[in-house]
Amino acid sequence: MSLAHIDDLDRIEMPDGFVWRPVRKHFGIRAFGTNAYTPGASGQIVEEHTEGTLGHEELYLVVRGRVRFTVDGNEHELGPGQLVHVSDPSLRRAGVALTDDAAVLAVGGKPGAPHEVSAWEYTFFAGPHIRAGRYDEARRLLQEGLQEKPGSAPIVYDLACVEALAGEGEKALELLNEAVATDERFRKYAQTDEDFASIRDDPRFPQADV
Amino acid sequence: MSDGYRILSLDEVETASHDGSTLIPVRHTLGFRPAGVNAWTADDGGQLIPPHTEDSGNEELYAVVRGRARFTVGEEEADAPAGTLVFVPPEVFRTAVAAEDGTIVFAVGGTVGEAFNAGGWDSFALADTYRQEGRFDEGRAIMEQLIAEKPDYWPTSYNAGCFEAQAGYPDAAFEHLRRAKELDAEGRSAEYFRGDGDLDPIRDDPRFQELLG
Repeated sequence: MSLAHIDDLDRIEMPDGFVWRPVRKHFGIRAFGTNAYTPGASGQIVEEHTEGTLGHEELYLVVRGRVRFTVDGNEHELGPGQLVHVSDPSLRRAGVALTDDAAVLAVGGKPGAPHEVSAWEYTFFAGPHIRAGRYDEARRLLQEGLQEKPGSAPIVYDLACVEALAGEGEKALELLNEAVATDERFRKYAQTDEDFASIRDDPRFPQADV
Repeated sequence: MSDGYRILSLDEVETASHDGSTLIPVRHTLGFRPAGVNAWTADDGGQLIPPHTEDSGNEELYAVVRGRARFTVGEEEADAPAGTLVFVPPEVFRTAVAAEDGTIVFAVGGTVGEAFNAGGWDSFALADTYRQEGRFDEGRAIMEQLIAEKPDYWPTSYNAGCFEAQAGYPDAAFEHLRRAKELDAEGRSAEYFRGDGDLDPIRDDPRFQELLG
């Protein structure tokens, strides 16, 4: 039987202080998006974000403990068996654990469209390896993401970060320009991204004033 | 609270009877669109998940939110305390029984490679529960809403016919059932007309022969 307790799933610590529990990937689910979250050092359990880019409708279920959700500026303290349904992708939402044992299950997707694995799953997986300097493992995970989502700008951008940090300047520049060509937002992100310190002065580095 | 979100407690949702289980109709209540989401509740020894398999491509994930459940998937059994997740691939038998009072299992489902398209079985379960409680207007309002949302979907008209037949309104029942037959280009409704016990109250009516023809 394909069964796991939330506490037994992979524990991916994110910089924002929450811990991602990759439910969808663990079970190999393809029909819908679902993940779980537990609090990290900061107590954050759901990162502050909108779904404006992906257009996803989301449902958060408190499975255990207590969580204070902030949605569109309004605060709600919720316990086990309580849900937040955010139908408007543009609304900013976040959750802070009020108890150490808190756990949240999230379900989301774009209404009217078949589920597609989000690029962020691969960049989230690679993040801890990048931060720890394990570049080969980070490359492997991001390349796996590109197999699933060829040309995905967020994945190509993170791969550029890896190559820059690993001292592979030529590869980094090529990948960064590919990411910017696919999605102009990455031009802006690159200007302040410390991962690119080693290539920022190269004339091929994407300039801000284009 | 703004219009773009909603808070819901599973304990506050009006439950429905479905195949010997108690359904908490989350999707119907919230109007969630990306996937099928519902919950089931039972006391110790009670049936949580109705015994069933899902069609090809239909994946389901169950999360034990409260209490403890005993899952059977295929020929395997497993104890599942709160916080346990159980994934069941398509075409595999599954059921679950509560092992503690007040157990709640949350369920998510969808079909690989297809946009989620709510068939409305959960809404119909609530409408039918209302009917059994004599709350015909509330049940009928749900069926009318389902038909308005998907006017060309024959199973909804068929279920509306069942609802009216069971509620004792044969004229309304035949109207819906005729519509179901018209919409059902593949003739899949025929076996239901022949064998569905929900239609027994109108089976001896001369108009029923038209549906079988």
